[in-house]
Amino acid sequence: MLKLYRHLLIPLLSWCLALTVQSQEIKFTAQVDRTTIATGEYVKYTVSLSNSRERFEAPSLGGLVVVQGPFDNSSFTIVNGRMSGSTSRTWVLTATAPGRYTIGPARVRIGNGTIETEAITIEVTKGAATHSDPNASQGQSRDPNLFTTITLSKSKAYVGEQIVATYMLYSRYNSLETTKSDMPKFDGFWAENVELGETNWDPQLSTVNGLQYRTATLKKQVLFPQRPGKLRIAPFVMECVVNRSFFNRGTEVSIRSNSVEVNVSALPPGAPAGFTGAVGELEMVVKADRTQVKVNEAIELTVTYSGKGNLKLMEAPALDLPADLESYDPKVTDRISLSGGGMTGSRSYQYLIIPRHEGDFPLEPITFSYFDTRSNSYRSITGAEMTIAVSPGDGSTATVQRPNRSDVQVLGKDIRYIRTGDLGLRQQGEHLFGSWPWLAGMSTPLLGFLLFLGWRRKREAQRHDVMGTRRKQADRTARKRLNEAELALKSSDRSAFYTALSRSLNGYIGDKFGLGPAQITTANLTERLAGHAGGEALADELMALIAACDMARYAPVEDRPRQQLYDEAAALIGRTEQLVRT
Amino acid sequence: MRKLLTSLLLVLAIPAFTLSGVEADSLVARGERAYAAGDHAAALARFDSAQTAFTSPALLYNIGNCHFKLGDIPHAILFYERALKLAPGDPDIRTNLELARQNVVDRVNELPGFTLGSTWSRIRGGRDADQWARRSLLICLALFAVLAAAVAARQRILRRGLLILGGVLLLGTLLSVGFAASRHREVTDDSEAIITSPKVDVRSEPKDGSTVLFVLHKGTKVTILQQQLDWSEVQLANGNVGWMPPATLERI
Repeated sequence: MLKLYRHLLIPLLSWCLALTVQSQEIKFTAQVDRTTIATGEYVKYTVSLSNSRERFEAPSLGGLVVVQGPFDNSSFTIVNGRMSGSTSRTWVLTATAPGRYTIGPARVRIGNGTIETEAITIEVTKGAATHSDPNASQGQSRDPNLFTTITLSKSKAYVGEQIVATYMLYSRYNSLETTKSDMPKFDGFWAENVELGETNWDPQLSTVNGLQYRTATLKKQVLFPQRPGKLRIAPFVMECVVNRSFFNRGTEVSIRSNSVEVNVSALPPGAPAGFTGAVGELEMVVKADRTQVKVNEAIELTVTYSGKGNLKLMEAPALDLPADLESYDPKVTDRISLSGGGMTGSRSYQYLIIPRHEGDFPLEPITFSYFDTRSNSYRSITGAEMTIAVSPGDGSTATVQRPNRSDVQVLGKDIRYIRTGDLGLRQQGEHLFGSWPWLAGMSTPLLGFLLFLGWRRKREAQRHDVMGTRRKQADRTARKRLNEAELALKSSDRSAFYTALSRSLNGYIGDKFGLGPAQITTANLTERLAGHAGGEALADELMALIAACDMARYAPVEDRPRQQLYDEAAALIGRTEQLVRT
Repeated sequence: MRKLLTSLLLVLAIPAFTLSGVEADSLVARGERAYAAGDHAAALARFDSAQTAFTSPALLYNIGNCHFKLGDIPHAILFYERALKLAPGDPDIRTNLELARQNVVDRVNELPGFTLGSTWSRIRGGRDADQWARRSLLICLALFAVLAAAVAARQRILRRGLLILGGVLLLGTLLSVGFAASRHREVTDDSEAIITSPKVDVRSEPKDGSTVLFVLHKGTKVTILQQQLDWSEVQLANGNVGWMPPATLERI
C-alpha cells in the first residue's frame, strides 16, 4: 500500500509542481556524506533533482550494497510568489570488502538532452571486524543478500573427538521459501543430528560487515571423525524462492554453502590395554547396590560412563566375573543429550548378577581407558574394588533343593529311611580276605587232601604187599593141598580127598586173584580173567570143577573117577598159572 | 574251624578298642531312636561314636542320611560312597546317593568304562570282599572233598565225573578268590575323594596364584592322583586334571 502510495502520489505531486516551476533552472546533483568508510560503515548517497518533474535513472552502485533505501523526498517552496521544487532519492550504502568503489552517474532526460551527475568514488578501508565468522564474510561475498554457511566448532581434532557442525542461513530478503535443500554427505564421519525442532528465524538480527541479516539455524550435527587425515565436508545446496508475494511470483535463487575441511590427527601411540577408542572428557563410576547377599539373590552392578564424548559408541565394560556368579546381558540406560555443545550425558550398563554358590567372590576392578581431549593424553579410570560375600540360602536344607540341573525332574522326593536293627557291625579294618583265618581256611582242605592221599597210598601199598605174597605162593600152596588130595586118593579117603581138592582150588583162586572165600563167583572170576585169551572158558571150567567137588563132598554122588578130577585140577591150575603169567 | 579262628581273633582284638560291641549296639539303637524323633544331629553324634570302632555299610548309610537331613550334602555323599564301597549292590544306598548327587552343582560327564569291566562287575555283583572270601573258602573245601572222592572212587565213570566237577570247582575257587581280591582292593583303595569346601579353584600348579583351570563345588567326586605340599592332584571323571589346595576334600 505504501508502495502504491509512493508510486502514484509522488508523480502527481511532481506534475503539479512542474506546472509552476517550469521556468526555473534545472539542477541535478549527486552527493555522498563521506567518501571514505571502513567496511561495516555506511555511506549515504543522495541524488537530487531541482525544478524538474522528470524521473531520473538510478545509477549503478558499483559493488556497494544497499543497506537501506532508496528513500524518495520531495519538497517545494514558495518564495515571493515564486515556487521552486526538488525531488531527491537517498540510499544508505555499505561495502562488504575493502577497496575502491565507484558509484556511476545518475542520468535524467530533460527535453532532448540528458543531464548526468558526476561519478563518485568511495574508498573502503578494512574496518574493525564486526562479525567474527569468516565463513559468513565469505558467504556474503558470494551473494550479500542470501547465503548459507557451514561452521565447525573446531577445525583440528583427534579421531573420535566430537565436532559440532552448524548450518546457518543468512537472508536479507523479506520473504523466503526454500524449495529444495541438499545436505552434504559425510565421508569419514559418524554424524549425529541435533534435534532442533522447526526451523525458525532467530529473533535477533545478525550483522555481517555492517549488513543486517535475519538468520536461521538449519541444522546442527555432532560429527565424530573416524579416520585421520584431511576430511572435507562438501558444500550443501539450497534452492529458494525470494520475494514471492501476492503481486510477485518471486525469484528463484540457488545457493551453495562453503565447504569445510577438518584436520583429523590419529590418536598418539601408547594406548593403554583395554582402550577401545573412547575419546572425550569422560568419567566412570562402578556401583553395586549391595555386596552381601544370600545364594540366588540378585545384585545390581552398575557401570556408568558420563561426560562429553561419543557415549553412543561406548562399549559395554569387560566384566570378568568369577564363574559362580551368573550374569545376564546388561541393561543399557542412556541419558545422552545432543546440543550445540556436542554429545553429553551418561550411559549406564546395569548388570544383574546372581551368585549360585556361597563364598566370598572378589570382583576384578573394572578399568576404563580413554583419550582425554582436555590434556590430549590417555587416561585410565579404575573402578572401586569390591567383594561380594554370599551366605548360604535360607530354609529347606533337609528337603531336596534343586539347583539348575535341567534334566533332573525330582520333586518332593526324599531319601530312604535309615537301617534299623542289626546293622552287621564289624570291627574297623577287619577284613576276612587275606587274613590268617582265611589263609588257614583256604589251605586246610589242601592239607587234608594231601594227608588223605598219603594215607591212601600207604594202605594201598600194604594191601598190595599181602596180595602179592599170596599170589606168589598160590601155586605152591595149591600144589601142597593137591599132594594132600593125592594122599587121600591113595588111601581112598573120599571125604578127605574132596575136601583137600576143594580147598586147593578155592585157596588157589582166592590167593591168585585177591578174593575172599565169599567173592569166588563165576562173575568175579570172569572179570579177573577177562583180559586174557581163553580166560572166560578157563573161569567156567574152574567153577565147574569146584561145583563138581562140592557136589561130591556133600552128596553121595560120584559121576567121575577121583583120579580124573585130581588130574583135571592139577591141569587147570597149571593152565591158569601159565595164562596169568603171560 | 573258621568260626573258631574268627572268634579267637575277635577275642584278641577287642582289648585294642575302647568300645565294646554291646556299647556300639546300644549307641546305634539310641541313634535310631533320635533319628526317628527327628533329632538328626543327636543321631549323627551317636552313629559317629559307634563308627569310631565299628563299621558296616548300614552304619555308614545311616550316617549319610543324618548328614543329608542336616543339609550337609558333601558329607552325605561321602558316607554314601563309603557305604557303597562296602556294599556295592545296595539299592537304598544307591538311591540316596543319587538323590544327594542331584544337589551337586558340577555335572561331570563320566567317561564310559570298558565293556569287559562292566561284564566282570555284573558277575561280581554287589557282594563285598568278605562274602567272596567266605565263598572261596566253601568252594575250596568242596574242591578238595571232590578230589578226595575222585581218588577214592573205584569205578572209572564215577571218577571221571568227579574229576570234571573238581575242575569246575577249581575254576570257581580261582574266580571267587579273584573277585575277593579285586573287591578288597577297591575297599582299601582310598584314592577317591569328595570335595567338602563350598568352592575350590582347581589350579594348574600346586601353589596359590597359578592359573585357575576350573572351579569345582562341594559334593563333586574326584580321584586323587598324587599329593605334594598338602596339595592334591585330582582327576575328574571326565579326565580333567588339576591341583587342589589342602583341606578341601575328604577321602572316601
